[in-house]
Amino acid sequence: MRAVIALAIGLLATPVMGAQATRDWPCVQVRQPHLSVGSMWTGPLPDEATAALARQDREVATLADRLAQRRTTPQEAEGLVADFAATADAARLTALFQGVFDRIDAERTTLMDGIARFGAGQAGLAAEMETRRARMQELEAAASPDFDAIDAEEAALDWDRRIFEERQHMLTAVCESPVLLEKRLYELSRMIQSHLPPE
Amino acid sequence: MLRRSLTAACALLLLGPGPALANRVFVTNEKGNDVTVLDSETLEVIGTYPVGARPRGITISPDGSELYVCVSDEDTVKVYDPESMEELHRLPSGPDPELFVLHPSGNPLYIANEDDNLVTVVDTETHQLLAEIPVGVEPEGMGVSPDGKVVVNTSETTNMAHFIDTDTHQIVANVLVDQRPRFAEFTADGTKLYVSAEIGGTVSVIDPATKEITDTIRFEIPGVLPEAIQPVGVRATKDGSTVFVALGPANRVAVVDGVTDEVVDYLLVGQRVWQMGFTPDESLLFTTNGNSNDVSVIDVARREVVKSIQVGEQPWGVVVAPDKQ
Repeated sequence: MRAVIALAIGLLATPVMGAQATRDWPCVQVRQPHLSVGSMWTGPLPDEATAALARQDREVATLADRLAQRRTTPQEAEGLVADFAATADAARLTALFQGVFDRIDAERTTLMDGIARFGAGQAGLAAEMETRRARMQELEAAASPDFDAIDAEEAALDWDRRIFEERQHMLTAVCESPVLLEKRLYELSRMIQSHLPPE
Repeated sequence: MLRRSLTAACALLLLGPGPALANRVFVTNEKGNDVTVLDSETLEVIGTYPVGARPRGITISPDGSELYVCVSDEDTVKVYDPESMEELHRLPSGPDPELFVLHPSGNPLYIANEDDNLVTVVDTETHQLLAEIPVGVEPEGMGVSPDGKVVVNTSETTNMAHFIDTDTHQIVANVLVDQRPRFAEFTADGTKLYVSAEIGGTVSVIDPATKEITDTIRFEIPGVLPEAIQPVGVRATKDGSTVFVALGPANRVAVVDGVTDEVVDYLLVGQRVWQMGFTPDESLLFTTNGNSNDVSVIDVARREVVKSIQVGEQPWGVVVAPDKQ
């Protein structure tokens, strides 16, 4: 009975194995191509007018640029947002949020594309190592083995393995980087939102 | 002391079902490798205690005498005195314990071993391993029926809820749910089982008697992309009237009507909301927010977030101590 269940489980498991890390996405975190306005913001939902304001209002656009930059510390951001909020109405505050959101979300997308390339690179390197191993076995099995060729192949394989492993060690940090941007955006959203007039 | 309890009694009389007795709230910090202890009345941090590498699942014995922590990267379950936070002993957990559930009587403990595709059963009194039950790929969510006769384990990759008979330790049924099931919660009367699916974005409502899915709860939040809605923790009030679902990176907790299984509200909490725990009187619900490193406190009756408390790095699990007997 148990064996039957185990078999059934095994069969069912196969098609969904790729739910987490895949060739295009090496991280355990679920891939979310874009962030959501609604998971950061409880104020009025931005619309087309907000987007237009975020683009056309020079002060909003400049401030959004500044806030989105990582070198702007949370303390600096706090002051900048407070100064802006002293004269801005809800529509302009929402436009500022939209501007910051769009910038950080775009940066995050670029970063995620980079992670995908990183993942694909690792998969490619793993495949290359497999090919080298197979070639080494072939060389070793020959009637009169070419030891120089075997040594060269082995050295190349060692290098590949070293590069692969070093990159693999970086994976956790690499996969955390979009999360850092998400955290920053959330913090900025809360800051801007705190200046909205009560509903 | 007497004066304090008299004052408390007066306050209770004045406010009716108002402020509850203070209970300790325990939060595991997955990255901080420690447990933050909060006071449910003052909502302040009492202290932070190192527990070991990557603590995740956390629960407490029904009499409040033992606190259990899954220390995932040390392949063990550590048992603490909830008052002193001193380690009492360890339980054999099998590799990479992530989540577990205690039998309603307080013994045994059922532990999901993600890497080994097993559920480990451990006697909490003798500290002995009682059984290892092979389940689906990457077991994770654990729920127990209120009568203690059935343990439900969800397997992340197999997408199933496995019903395990606690007498025979055999799987008696498998229910296919949506992708990457994370958590299983029975209602207190045992008539419903809620299973969340992180990637599927749904919560399946299962009738434990027939093992049929009777309803599927879906979530839609204006301004939130569907892929950001990742249901994880689920908690139902004892009367079954309200069910709370933590929606991960949507940063929201869904409030579900437990009778109709319709979503009635979405509360904005911290970032990557993961697990939740009620106070014994169910006046408050605590949520762990992994990315914003805080715990949100929800007023259950008013369905409002009343406070955010900063805890350690990457809070994961939460449990509230029972009332002192």
